[in-house]
Amino acid sequence: MKTVSARCLILACGNTLREDDGVGPFLAAWAEERFGGEPALRVISRQQWTPELAEDLAGAKSVVFIDCAANAEPGSVQVSRVEPGNGTSGLATHHFGAAELLSLTRELYGKSPHTSLLLTIGASSLELREGFSEAVQSALPEAFRVLETTVCDLLNSPNYRK
Amino acid sequence: MSQTITIDPVTRLEGHGKITIQLNGQGEVEDAHFHVTQVRGFERFSEGRPFYEMPSLMARVCGICPVSHLIASARACEAIMSVRIPYTAAQLRRMLNLAQMVQSHALSFFHLSSPDLLLGMEADPKIRHIFGVAAARPELGRAGIGLRRFGQHIIELLGSKRIHTGWVVPGGVTEPFSAAKRDEMLAMLPEAYANIRLAMDWYKKIAGNFKPEIEVFANFPSLFMGLINEDESIAFTVGALRLIDAKGSIVEDGIDADRFTEVIGEAVEPYSYTKFAYYKPLGYPEGSYRVGPLARLNIAKSMGTPLADKELAEFKQLADGPVLSSFYYHHARLVEMLHGIERIEMILNDPKILDKHVRATAGVNRLEGAGQAEAPRGTLHHHYQVDDNGLIKWANLVIATGQNNNAMNKGVLQAAKHYVKDGKFTEGILNRVEAVVRTFDPCLSCSTHAFGQMPLELTLVSTDGEILDKVVR
Repeated sequence: MKTVSARCLILACGNTLREDDGVGPFLAAWAEERFGGEPALRVISRQQWTPELAEDLAGAKSVVFIDCAANAEPGSVQVSRVEPGNGTSGLATHHFGAAELLSLTRELYGKSPHTSLLLTIGASSLELREGFSEAVQSALPEAFRVLETTVCDLLNSPNYRK
Repeated sequence: MSQTITIDPVTRLEGHGKITIQLNGQGEVEDAHFHVTQVRGFERFSEGRPFYEMPSLMARVCGICPVSHLIASARACEAIMSVRIPYTAAQLRRMLNLAQMVQSHALSFFHLSSPDLLLGMEADPKIRHIFGVAAARPELGRAGIGLRRFGQHIIELLGSKRIHTGWVVPGGVTEPFSAAKRDEMLAMLPEAYANIRLAMDWYKKIAGNFKPEIEVFANFPSLFMGLINEDESIAFTVGALRLIDAKGSIVEDGIDADRFTEVIGEAVEPYSYTKFAYYKPLGYPEGSYRVGPLARLNIAKSMGTPLADKELAEFKQLADGPVLSSFYYHHARLVEMLHGIERIEMILNDPKILDKHVRATAGVNRLEGAGQAEAPRGTLHHHYQVDDNGLIKWANLVIATGQNNNAMNKGVLQAAKHYVKDGKFTEGILNRVEAVVRTFDPCLSCSTHAFGQMPLELTLVSTDGEILDKVVR
């Protein structure tokens, strides 16, 4: 398959049946609607990040990973830079973290996005149900704002214009 | 003083299990078990549901091979409906199942087992994983990713979802195929052929380095079972089961889904939640058998596609009769991936594939029905009973891992006896015992999530509970 290029790739992770864990796919769906028709943006949403996504990352100039954070303040919205790095997930079967995925992309394809950001929303509950906890529900407007600003910056950045 | 070695969890498997090795007072291996430590309960909680919901419900058993559950379940439902599905629907399902087989085999071969094959069984576990493969042979890593994506994208194009599609329903499929999707799939074929060729050539170069492992990785006589077409070519979605013995003689033939329970029984052992299937006339455990790629290639007279037929002929040269070492599951997986790509190309070039008639409809015409298909790791059987309203009264699933369960346990014991001497073991020995299980690519419970980091822990415990040694990674 040909590598699909994108000026900005949104890569979300989470299980919509595990309460706050589903906030990544929820935000990805929101971004797809908000930026609908923007050819420079690709949105991919998965329950787990798997090695196959390295090919998508190799074709992206920038990436915004979106995930919930089980060890952060519930409802907190944070954006941080991610650098390639090897963790211990290689021992597991098929799920990777953002840093590991970037590392694998670089090893396999000799390149990775110029800018890699991780947007996290602090989780309060990961129980077996749909919907969000009060903390995450309250944080959604802030998450929308941060995601919109981040993506707009990346799309408009002269570094990533064709 | 006797001792027990525990490997918990076993890594690079579909799901979570553990291995225990029991040593006697002289430090010799006396017994070994592979434990499946999860319980799912699908058969019980499906009771009371309408039968037509079963394919979608049962597909949730697994995140790697949901297509096989969809197909076996739909076929059981069609037995209840007493319908024959349209030709085009059967062809589309066949393609879906082959696409799943390609992506699942690619995961097993490249992501889970190639670290052992490329870097060696004794390699440092800190690098013995997919990152190590990517660093050492990036083209091999890219080939694995390419084959995974090939299978996954075909599944997505057919069923709109990569995992847990609802496209397969009792009576056929919900939507016909389109020319645009067919053309997109045809364009993916050259890269898929190149990737499987690269993997096959590489495997043949390195397989000779593993002669000691080939000797003791579940290498023993057993029965083999798999689906086969009337022309004795390999089958994955239709056909009937054939059972052969370790010399290749046919023991039982033409086992359709209705006859399955007449021939196959399930035993229970106290140390595992997975049952142990066996051939009833021989009893348990003598009637234990193997399923999956190795069994299918041992049974089939042909693959029915030209390139894979050449590979099958070469594969059969490995032994005089059935190939007995489970190490060769790896080889068989590659042959099946090649076959899958070829067969998908044939189906795509069938003009009837765009026919709009893809679903038969009917209500409850029988109160019992069974269906079977080949999952990537072996034969899968679904069996349901319903009431007059079509509500499920009873369900039973016989999965591939249960059919390989006894062979996996025997294989673990064989390898442990060979490698563990005087009660001593190394990391490389631990990995070899795990790698025996990996050859079977058992699917324990992919759809169950686990939180946090799961360490691999091996402990040596005395009979009075004292921990004598411990390895954690």
